[in-house]
Amino acid sequence: MSEIAVKIEDVSKKFRLYHERNQSIKSAIMRGRRSVHEDFWALKDVGFEVPVGSTFGLIGSNGSGKSTLLKCLAKIYYPETGSITYNGKIAALLEVGSGFHPELSGRENIFLNGSILGMSKKEITGKFDEIVDFSGVEQFIDQPVKNYSSGMYVRLGFSVAINVNPDILVVDEVLAVGDTEFQAKCAQKFVDFKNEGRTVILVSHSMESVREMCDSAAWLSHGELIKVGPADETIDAYLRSLPGASAA
Amino acid sequence: MRYLKEVLESRELLANLTLREIRGQYKRTIFGQLWSLVNPLASMLVYTLVFALIIRVQPEAGDPSGLDIFAVWLLCGLLPWTFFSNVVQQGMGSILSNVGLVQKVYFARIVLPLSKVGSVGYNWLFEMGVLVVVLVICGAFVWPWLPLVVVTMVLLAIFAAGLALMLAVANVHFRDTQYFVSIIMQIWMYLTPIIYPISLVATQSDKYGGLFGTTVTILDVYRINPLERFVAVFRQLLYDNRWPDPQDFLLCAIWALAAFTVGLWIFRRSERGLAEAL
Ligand SMILES: Nc1ncnc2c1ncn2[C@@H]1O[C@H](COP(=O)(O)OP(=O)(O)OP(=O)(O)O)[C@@H](O)[C@H]1O
Ligand SMILES: [Mg+2]
Repeated sequence: MSEIAVKIEDVSKKFRLYHERNQSIKSAIMRGRRSVHEDFWALKDVGFEVPVGSTFGLIGSNGSGKSTLLKCLAKIYYPETGSITYNGKIAALLEVGSGFHPELSGRENIFLNGSILGMSKKEITGKFDEIVDFSGVEQFIDQPVKNYSSGMYVRLGFSVAINVNPDILVVDEVLAVGDTEFQAKCAQKFVDFKNEGRTVILVSHSMESVREMCDSAAWLSHGELIKVGPADETIDAYLRSLPGASAA
Repeated sequence: MRYLKEVLESRELLANLTLREIRGQYKRTIFGQLWSLVNPLASMLVYTLVFALIIRVQPEAGDPSGLDIFAVWLLCGLLPWTFFSNVVQQGMGSILSNVGLVQKVYFARIVLPLSKVGSVGYNWLFEMGVLVVVLVICGAFVWPWLPLVVVTMVLLAIFAAGLALMLAVANVHFRDTQYFVSIIMQIWMYLTPIIYPISLVATQSDKYGGLFGTTVTILDVYRINPLERFVAVFRQLLYDNRWPDPQDFLLCAIWALAAFTVGLWIFRRSERGLAEAL
């Protein structure tokens, strides 16, 4: 077997679903500091391995826990049990352009967002032209980003994130907003990534693109891992499980 | 220690976030940075009118500087107070106002409250610069004391940061903390000798004598307030132009370190759960 980039072992994540949430001091005191909640397991003993240099897809219906798993990977949530081990630097793209300041220009935001994603000023300066070039918003780079269209916003955010140069890139379904040209550009970028021996983990509801881009895939349903394996097989199994599905 | 290292590694991010605040603050305003002077000026005018001209509060003249101008005396205490109160209140809300970031990107969360210290501190520096100019024009000899003023400013920033860290966590779990704190801040301001001299409290305290038959006086209790010490040191340096009282100065340092240590400890313990609690 090839080297492992990310190893996920028995990861479980619990959320508290509050019936009556104590978000004010008054209600906390009145109810004697007990808030009424029940536990909800968004992930249950999920475990799989992602080999270095592969493109890995995560599929499943809405609310199945895909984003939650990515957030655990990105260290935004911490799983209750289990462990995640990485081999290399990880960057996550859960929402493009988070951290953009609407009043600041595209240029200023590139520096801001780059440093939020962990780049040093020198790195950003070095990559600045590449970032602007990839995003295709040169003309507007000195405009405040609040005047950008949502597609331009995504383009700029994605360009910054992709230039962080991570060994492992984690992407939630954020590219849907870009136009066909940009999506093609991104798909190409993923291929380049792969050729450079980097690993990509992505979530998508578009089975065609998963089939096209990914080597392997994992199928989550209600927080449980149903199947992991070659992309084609996993997707077929997933599609077959859907009501009224013919073999697509 | 590992945590401190991580925080240190985020210093560039901290600088960038601070710049974001500073740059975004007065974008598309005509007067720009001058706005940061308007607030203290307005308060100065109101307090001077009410307390110096109507109520006739008379602080002692600066010794040895010989200054005897209420408005200047007031500013030496008011500017540090405004900084402190703004850092605590804005730093406290910094996690909540960056929900998008906290839930989508991993980074050392502590930079959010700390960036508020930076951006509010930037304005404060500007205000203090203007104050120094005013002091010089009024004939105070402040230059030799400026290094110590800067040290005290840093201590106050550390103290404020510590409180902001604690309250930022509390505010995520109990959203009404900020309303609570804004009331406390108002009361706290009047419990600190900013618009009136501490000699008024001393007089009353002497009249009353020891509390409950002990030797502890009202003044002793009053002086537990850390901000009283900070304001005293700032006035000794800026208004009186003399060495600060060593006890006051030492207490400032102790308060600052204590608040920051506790704040850091609390913040660090709860940092991981912040994204979910939002
Ligand atoms: N912070 C939270 N608090 C409580 N429940 C949460 C939280 N985040 C997610 N959940 C729950 O966890 C489950 C999985 O959510 P998740 O966002 O991972 O789904 P998803 O697979 O990404 O779905 P989608 O395809 O719609 O993006 C959902 O039932 C959701 O309600
Ligand atoms: Mg999702």
